[in-house]
Formats: sequence, structure tokens, C-alpha cells
Amino acid sequence: MWNMFERRLAPTESPWAIAAMTFGSVVLAFLIGAVLFLPFVSNPIDAYVSLFEASLGSMRGLGITLNRAAPLIVIALGTCVAWRAGFGYLGFEGCLTIGAAASAWFALLALDGGLAFIPSILFFAVAICISFGAGGAWAGGVGLFRSRFGGNEVLISLMTNYVAAFIVQYLVSGPMRAPGSLPQTPRLPTETWLPGIIPETRAHAGILIALAATGLVWLLMSRMRLGYELIVTGLNPFAARYGGINVGRRYVLAAFLAGGLGALAGLIEVLGTQHRLLDGLSGGIGFIGIVVALLAKLNPLAVVPTAVLYAALSVGADAVQRSTGAPSSIIFILQSLIVLFVMASDFLRYWTIRLPFKSPGSESGKV
Amino acid sequence: MQPAVELRGITKRFPGVLANDQTNLVVEKGEVHAVLGENGAGKSTLMHILYGSYQPDEGEIVLDGQQVRFASQREAIGHNIGMIHQDFMLVRPFTVVENVVLGLRDERGGILDLGKAAARIKELSDRHGLTVDPWARVEHLPVGVQQRVEIIKLLYRDARILILDEPTAVLTPQETGKLLATLRALTAEGRSVIIVTHKLHEIIEVADRITIMRDGRTVATLDKKATTEAELARMMVGRDVALKVRRTPLRQGNPILRVSDLYVADDRGASAVNGVDLSVHEGEIVGIAGVDGNGQSQLVEGLMGLRAIRQGSVEMAGVEITDAPLFDRSGKGLVYVPADRRGVGSVATLNIEDNAILGNQRQFSGAGSLLRDRAKSRSHAETLIDRFGVRTPDIRFPAGKLSGGNLQKVILGREIMRDPRVLIVEQPTRGLDVGAIEVIWSELLAAREQGKGILLISAELEEIRNLADRIFVMYGGRFMGELRSEDASDEVIGLMMAGVSAVGAREVGHVEYV
Repeated sequence: MWNMFERRLAPTESPWAIAAMTFGSVVLAFLIGAVLFLPFVSNPIDAYVSLFEASLGSMRGLGITLNRAAPLIVIALGTCVAWRAGFGYLGFEGCLTIGAAASAWFALLALDGGLAFIPSILFFAVAICISFGAGGAWAGGVGLFRSRFGGNEVLISLMTNYVAAFIVQYLVSGPMRAPGSLPQTPRLPTETWLPGIIPETRAHAGILIALAATGLVWLLMSRMRLGYELIVTGLNPFAARYGGINVGRRYVLAAFLAGGLGALAGLIEVLGTQHRLLDGLSGGIGFIGIVVALLAKLNPLAVVPTAVLYAALSVGADAVQRSTGAPSSIIFILQSLIVLFVMASDFLRYWTIRLPFKSPGSESGKV
Repeated sequence: MQPAVELRGITKRFPGVLANDQTNLVVEKGEVHAVLGENGAGKSTLMHILYGSYQPDEGEIVLDGQQVRFASQREAIGHNIGMIHQDFMLVRPFTVVENVVLGLRDERGGILDLGKAAARIKELSDRHGLTVDPWARVEHLPVGVQQRVEIIKLLYRDARILILDEPTAVLTPQETGKLLATLRALTAEGRSVIIVTHKLHEIIEVADRITIMRDGRTVATLDKKATTEAELARMMVGRDVALKVRRTPLRQGNPILRVSDLYVADDRGASAVNGVDLSVHEGEIVGIAGVDGNGQSQLVEGLMGLRAIRQGSVEMAGVEITDAPLFDRSGKGLVYVPADRRGVGSVATLNIEDNAILGNQRQFSGAGSLLRDRAKSRSHAETLIDRFGVRTPDIRFPAGKLSGGNLQKVILGREIMRDPRVLIVEQPTRGLDVGAIEVIWSELLAAREQGKGILLISAELEEIRNLADRIFVMYGGRFMGELRSEDASDEVIGLMMAGVSAVGAREVGHVEYV
């Protein structure tokens, strides 16, 4: 029996094997989730059906799922850019917060009438630029620090999350506070809300921003010279330097792009969902987005379906609780198990199964 | 008398590779036994099976007439087998004594008595002439002494069978001589020494018997007295090799690269290059010989703009480039093949196509050098693997999975195809097998004939002597002197590599120097 398994010299890179392992991990997580459902429902399949019916089975549910997925997508894209460039950025909560503050500020400017004359498409274009720039500068600072002084960007970026959160707390309880008891800004003018895209649903244009960003990030990473240089920098900074690439500048660039993408999540939340700036707006999206990117193996195209599925599970969790009485925490356990198993399944890439009837000598030689 | 070790019919498969195929090896007590073969011949796998790192799929290990099975290295060590890896397994910030006792469990009550251990180390080093201070920190010791620490580590565990993997790769000729004498003395005590190597002439010096491996099989075991270097080489590669190359007469052109009074520091800020003067002309190969770590790497990195120059100047074709970034230097025709193929010269996980444009990525981009021109890079990579005979299924194959020789062909080919004026190559054939060395050497000579200037940095004397028109020997960050290739005997270069000036070396070696 033991002879059936043999350690590989190098992990397999067969896309089929990797897809099978990922799928197997998800199935295993669902099976364990089913066991947790057993005390509450006679047939766990019913629970899963109501889960996906609520989140993907109806237009209304789909709209909510897409709204939930959009910020996850842009943050996951930011993670792809930063991490593939070897920049271990964890400050997306902060970027989201900064991007939210910047877009709320710009939208309130419009409320004051200062920008009433500009057409709405231009408003959104400028809002995106301002928000992207603010988040980019916020994260770019960390990049600059790393490339100048060699600081540890993982810790620094993690700390900047708190700074950003307190800045927004300050803004909504002070300079930008609306009259009233709650620490939040006034509601933004409806002209500045992201327009709906599917009638009869809450789906807003945030998902379009996220899809456009996906296309651009894919273009950058697979088709542009800059993307090539970012990837080389991430894989081997020594080879990058030897290849005439200014590694420090690439870190700053990666940080800027990641921060800008993270800030777009804030814009989508503020202009699409909350319609005002308030404290504690991010609710952990900045970290869940990183998890989505990891599940998508830092591949920008895989980010979209991963984010939609992850959002669907979150949206469906409440529906399951309503329809079956099973606690929604089961779904969050399920989400965590998926992440855990997909990450852990990586070690399987180092093993191969040797079937008894297959002659081992017949395998092709290594080139 | 029973042989010390007998490996019978060892077969070891890895997925896609048959590393050992019915391999046999018999090592007698008190002999130095060399295992000779090209890279990938299965020598290391066989040794790791004897050392318990791998378990054989078939075959048996017999020690002193008793069949054994090792589930781990610990069990092999328990049977008095010891191994010194090519990269030493020492904890650098630890002292010698700490390194020696590391992994031993014979201390009572968990109390470490380093003093007692140090006394034993002293006794062992006195008895075997392995001078070592037990309290010195390993990181402060020269490589040759670190190797002594490794040997003492084995003797401390009373290893009767000592396996040494490429033990002389990092040593000067003089240090090598000392090591070989030590090994001789150890066999006189009845211990057996197995040396794994691909260096022929050293084997001939020290080994009693030689086992040649090729493609995972034992080709033959020969008595040293009954064989010649030529025969061994032929058996190793299975064909006649002439590693003597034919150099056309020197047609030296104008000087292109000119270096004067160069000072470069290492990572810790200590001066590593101390006033080097050098020029490279069109159509010549200038060799820099020397043991690793005498400032060669810092010199090259300084020349390429990868390391700040403290003092002095570098000129390309009359234009000063002392402080220019690497990008500008390569634009002026100064390119570089680094010593570390996998760590610096290539990106292992990227494919050949992506590696073939590294350093030149702007030339392979369109639309204002924004978008990558895939068609152009693809045809470039195809041309490269064709012209330089890279053995690979296709250009989408990950560079890191190429053998060392094929990867080096990709890197050297990439730099030659940039049509440089000066090519700096650092340790271009380190760890490569004879076939690949031939290809690399002939490419370098071809570039020389095309009128390119080549600066060759190598620790392999044979390489320097075969290729270079002029030879500098570097020691302690300085050139010990310049030799014409026809004046450079191994002995003179060896002395200079150990820090004797050209004048001094001439007195010993009786040569003219220029």
C-alpha cells in the first residue's frame, strides 16, 4: 500500500491535477458542512439548495451577490499585482477605507453644488481617478519605504490599516460629520450613486468597474512589459536586477497599483452600497479579498468566479438560517474549510500515485 | 577480509528518472575509493542511499558482511557512516565545538559539556593533523578549515566510512593537496574513504580504486595503477573527448573595456577589490583565475553596475561608465553571464521564452515598449534553442527544469545574441558535464573570433589555461600578476592563487612573466 505513493522531486504543475485537487478540496469542505447541518435538517442537500437559490437562483439574490463580489474582486486583483511582484502587502483594509473617504469627499463636493454641472459619466471617471490615486499614494508610501530603507512591508502595511481606520473615524466624527447623533457623513446625492445595471435588483455598476479592472490587470500581467518586469521582480529580485530592472521602483509601482485597486473597493462600497461614509465600513473585506486571491492562485481571471462563489456563500448564509434554522455560522465554517483545504492540498502536488500495473521504468525521462 | 561496503544491484527510481539501475559498488577497508561520473550519472543518489537519505527500490547494502537497511541518515550514522556534502552542513554562527556535537544525544541529563567535547576535538585534531580551534566561530573560518571541521565531525562520531561529495571544488591546489594527504592518513587507520567527483586528475592522485558510473549504471571498477586519465574520461562519457581546445592565433584589436585602480566593497562594507587595473581588447579572452571569494564576484558586480564602485573608473570604448546603471552598460555592449545560473541568471519558474528576453525586454516590446511582442520573443527563443543546441521539448518549458548545461546554453546564448562588444562570463562551466563544457568553450572561442572581448572569471585552472590569452590571478582583492597563457603552468597559477606574487611564483616555478 505504501508503495503506491511516492514523493516527487518537484511538485506537479499539471493543470488537470491542480484543478482536481482544488475541486476535491471544495467537495470535502461541503461534505463536512453537510455533517454540521445534520442536527438541523434531515437532508443537508436541501440546505445547500436553499443556500444557492437565495444567492444565485434569483435575480434579486444574484444582484446582492454581485454587489458583494465586486469589492472582493478589486481587492483580490490588488493582491495579485502586489504579491506576484513579491510585495507582501496586507493593507487593503486601509486602502479600502482611504478610497471610501476620498470618493465620499468628492461626492459631497458635488452635493455642495460645486460640481453640479459635470455630467455623471465624467463624475464617475474623476471619482475613480481620485479614489485610485488616494489609495495608490497610501500604499505607494509603504512601497517607497521598503525600496528606500528595506523595511518589512508585511508588518508596516498591516499597521497602516489602523491608521486609515482612525483617520476615517476622525473624519466622520469631526470635519465630515452630518448633523445628528451618528458618526457618519450626510447621505450622498443620488446622482453620485453607482447606477443600477439589472432592473428590479440592487445590482449596481460596481461589478462593471470590477470586471474592467480584471481585464486591465490581466493585460498588465500577461501582455505588458511592465507586468513581465513585475513578475520577474517577484519571482527572483536578483535576476531582475541583473536584467536591468529597477527592483525598488517596481515595488513602488506594484504597491501603488495594489493600493489603487484596493481603494476602488472603497469607492464601490460608498457609491454603490452605503451611499455615505461611516466608521467600520470595510467589515473585513480587505482581508477576505486577499483570501479570494489566494484561492484563485493569484490569477486575475480566476479571481472573478472565485469572488462570486465566495460572495454567494456569504449571501446565502442568512437565507439558510431563515429557511432551516441552522446557524449561518455553518456556512462561515464551510468557507474557512474551503480555504484551508485548498491551501493544504498544495502538499499533494509533491506526491504521485504509482499504480501497480504501470511499469515505473516506462515513464519518460527528464529533459 | 570482508569489504567495508558492498552495494549490490541498487536500483532507485524517481518519477520520470531512473537514477540508479542495478548499480554495484565494493569498497574495501582502508582504501580511498573514487566514484567518478558526469553530472546526472547517479553518483549522488547512490551515496545518499548508502547514507540513508533515500531507500533503494531494489538491491541490498552490505556492511562488513552484514546486510543492513537504513530508514534514515541517523541509522546510517549509527553504523559509522559519515558524509560531507558539497555545501557544508555547518551552522555558521556556531562555534566549531557546537557544530561538532550538534545532533549527538549522549549527554547525560540534558546538560551539554562543551568543554569535554572541545578537549576531544583537540585530541582528534592533533592526532590527525587537522588544526582547528574548537572555540572559533565557523563563519570566521576559511573554507579549507570548514572542511576540516566537517571531517572532525565525522571522526568525533567515529565514522569508519567517510563519503565526500566533490570535496575539492572550493579548495586551492595547495589545500587540495593537504586534504588528500589527510584522507590517506585516515585510510591508514583502516577507515574507508569514498570520494565522489568528476575531477579526473585529483582522483588519479589519491584513489586506490575507481568506480566509473554512467547513466545510473556502474561501468567499471578499476585499479588506479592499471588505468590512465584518458581511459577514465572515455569511460565516463562513453566517447572520446578532447577537452584540449584549438585556439586560433590571437588577433587582438583595440582596447574596449578599461578598468583603472578599482575599489569595490562587499556586502559587509569590507573592501573586496583593492585597486585592480585591467583592460580587455577586441578579439581576446582575458582570464581571471583564483579561488572563489577573493573578490572576483565583487569585481564583476562592480563592472556591471550591480555594486557601487568606491574608487577608480570603468570605461567602455572611451566612455566612462563608472556610475552608470546596468541598463546603460548593456546598452553600450557590456553584457554578463553570472556565476549563479539559477539564482541570478534566470528565473526558474518562467519558461525559456520569458528567460530568453531577460535584460533585453524593451527590445521585445512594441507599442512604445509598453506591450510585449510575443511573436518576436517567440521566434527569438526558437532561434536561440536552435543555434545553441538547447535540449528541451519546446520554448514553453520552465527554465528551472533544464539541466545545468542546457540552462547555461540559454543564458550564454541570450547574451551572445545581444551582439555585445565585451562579454563577462563568471564560472561558465561550474558543475557542468564534459559535453556541455565543450559547447560552452567553443561558443566562447567563436565569440572571440568574431572580435568580441571576453573577460573570463573561473576557478577552474583547466578552463583558464585552455581559453585565456592573458591570465590574471586574483587573491585577496588584488591581481597577483599577469601571465601569458603559454607561461602559465598549473604550479605557478596555483602558487599565485594562494597569494604568492608572480615574481615569487616565478622563482618557484621558473617561468617568465609579462
